[in-house]
Amino acid sequence: MSQTKIPVDLILNRLAESTEEVKEKVQKASEVLLGSLETDISQTPNEIVYQEDRVKVKYYKPEKIKHKIPLLVVYALINRETMLDLQPGRSVIQNFLESGMEVYMIDWGYPKRKDQFVTIDDHVNGYMDNIIDFIRKKHDLAKINLMGICMGGSFCVMYSALHPEKIKNLVTTVTPTNFDTDKGLLHIWMKNTLAEKMGPTYGNMPADIMNLGFLLLNPARLIIDKYVGFFENMDNKKFVENFVRMEKWIFDSPDVPAATFKQFIEDCYKKNLLIQSKLELNGKRVDLKKITMPLLNFYGKYDHLVPPEACNLLTKMVGSQDSEDICLDTGHIGIYVSSKCQKEFAPKISKWLKEREGDEITEAVAKTQPLKKNSVKKYQKKIDAKQ
Amino acid sequence: MEQQSDQNQEKETMDMTKMFEMWLKSAMNFWGNMPRMQPDENMMFNFFPKQQKGSSYQAQQTWDRGTKIAGALAAMLSEPENLDAMFKATDTVPEFIMKISRQVWEGYFEAQKNWTERAVRIGKHEKAYCFDDLDQETFQMLREIYEKEFQRYFYIPQIGLTRFYQERANKAVDKYNLFQTSLSEFIYMFYVPMEKSMAVMQEKIKDMLEKGEISDNYKEYYSMWIKILEGHYMKLLQSPEYSQVMAKTIQSLVEYRSARDEMMYDILKNLPIPTNRDMDELYKEFYELKKKVRELSRKMEEQK
Repeated sequence: MSQTKIPVDLILNRLAESTEEVKEKVQKASEVLLGSLETDISQTPNEIVYQEDRVKVKYYKPEKIKHKIPLLVVYALINRETMLDLQPGRSVIQNFLESGMEVYMIDWGYPKRKDQFVTIDDHVNGYMDNIIDFIRKKHDLAKINLMGICMGGSFCVMYSALHPEKIKNLVTTVTPTNFDTDKGLLHIWMKNTLAEKMGPTYGNMPADIMNLGFLLLNPARLIIDKYVGFFENMDNKKFVENFVRMEKWIFDSPDVPAATFKQFIEDCYKKNLLIQSKLELNGKRVDLKKITMPLLNFYGKYDHLVPPEACNLLTKMVGSQDSEDICLDTGHIGIYVSSKCQKEFAPKISKWLKEREGDEITEAVAKTQPLKKNSVKKYQKKIDAKQ
Repeated sequence: MEQQSDQNQEKETMDMTKMFEMWLKSAMNFWGNMPRMQPDENMMFNFFPKQQKGSSYQAQQTWDRGTKIAGALAAMLSEPENLDAMFKATDTVPEFIMKISRQVWEGYFEAQKNWTERAVRIGKHEKAYCFDDLDQETFQMLREIYEKEFQRYFYIPQIGLTRFYQERANKAVDKYNLFQTSLSEFIYMFYVPMEKSMAVMQEKIKDMLEKGEISDNYKEYYSMWIKILEGHYMKLLQSPEYSQVMAKTIQSLVEYRSARDEMMYDILKNLPIPTNRDMDELYKEFYELKKKVRELSRKMEEQK
């Protein structure tokens, strides 16, 4: 019987070398960590142009305006919209600005206990409607472009179905609309637990518990491997800066208003009403067939939070004749922050929106008056006749 | 023969009872006469007349009353029927303690039996990526023991002025215990893949050793282990067992939190501070008012 060869001498040599490497790494790491680090996020200049309760709207102005219709970006209530402007070189907002597009972005703020009664209807038909009216009035437009991210995309879908007369083009990214799938862990968990009870118990759905839940989706990678990787690259200044920026964003989570969270879990995750056009907001049914404007729908192939099966039914259920699905080889966040997707994602959206701006600038009623439904209908007939 | 020994025993019991009676009577006489035997300080020192007021007089009065009560008790106990009743009552105390102890021990032995069986299973080969034999029975058993033996004590009907407060406090303690059990089970579930992945790694290293494919790079082993661990967690997190445990944990957390908040409200309402409950009522009113104002503003704008 041959003896098993264990290269003990090699192992010991290797250990001795690694100890030397570790010592150098630690020295370098301490210089990096104790030195100045650029870890600020959301650095693109913007102006707060609207505020209602805790909700603000940021306006990003490009150097040269090449798009006639501005874009309103609606982020999810979970985590913060700062992810779209994480760092120079990985900023969706900057990409939009470089293409000459004016961008408005909703900052949902940090809900407090007093916001626990705010419903999905309040977010969609309250805050969003007021913001869109504000932008329309500011630009003298009947319609604007709307883009949603994740749960924000779900809100945009609801809004577009209820107010199609105000939306020119709709872009949805990693947006869950079909919740009847077992491909994502969140879908399995939300269906089998009473998570919706936590909101009312705590006042709002606590961000810390949600963060913990997201970490538990893949504990091996998100709790262990991620930080092992960090310790291995602690001596690399660029790596540390990128890592810290991502950490800042990922754990900067607001609570979710209890009423909104409860309805989202019950009506979407459990009953899957949205894709069936049976969801109701304050008695008004969200009929997806009423989404007749052009629709561009992005999702990630390796998205473990919102799997492709949760996104790819939308284009089949809307009434729009101009809709497109784009599946990128990335995960939930990679669409916005990976350097590869930066070249595909934002430029594609800019180009797609530009192609659908229409022949001329849209007309509107007097600046002092909000656009009425009658005048919108008359105006729409005018445009249709011209087309 | 047996009858004689019974008679002897009875005679012995009666003698002991008589002795106890005599002892009680003498004790009663002694303590009853004690205050009278105490010298009068005023007479001793002959300075001041006997005071009917003052703390020393009150103390003496209290002492007199106490000894009279003791004397009355002793007289009552010296009656044979009363003595019998007292001995019977003291007999029941050990019986009661025995019953409680038996319940506790039975529960403990059952748990120990389960732990021993589990210890035997540890020695056997662990199946990788398999979560069918998760030892949830231990937690289930703990929960059952708690619900069967101890939980009911927290729901004994309370009486008196503070009954509602006591009920809520007991409920909070009960819900806390249930939550702790669920949480332990939940945390245990996350430990299981670690154990299994280590076992799989050991097997893999053993195979590599036998084939002579052992590497000197620790990173390779780490990458191997993290991949195995990730696979185990993915399998676990998708399993219905995990969903059930998570559901139970969330449910027990919510119930505990509600019960605890109810109890805290009882404590806090005596302090001059507003509670969450008070603020929530205000917030609700603000929310409804704001909504109404927005609706009316919108209608007014549309009519312009």
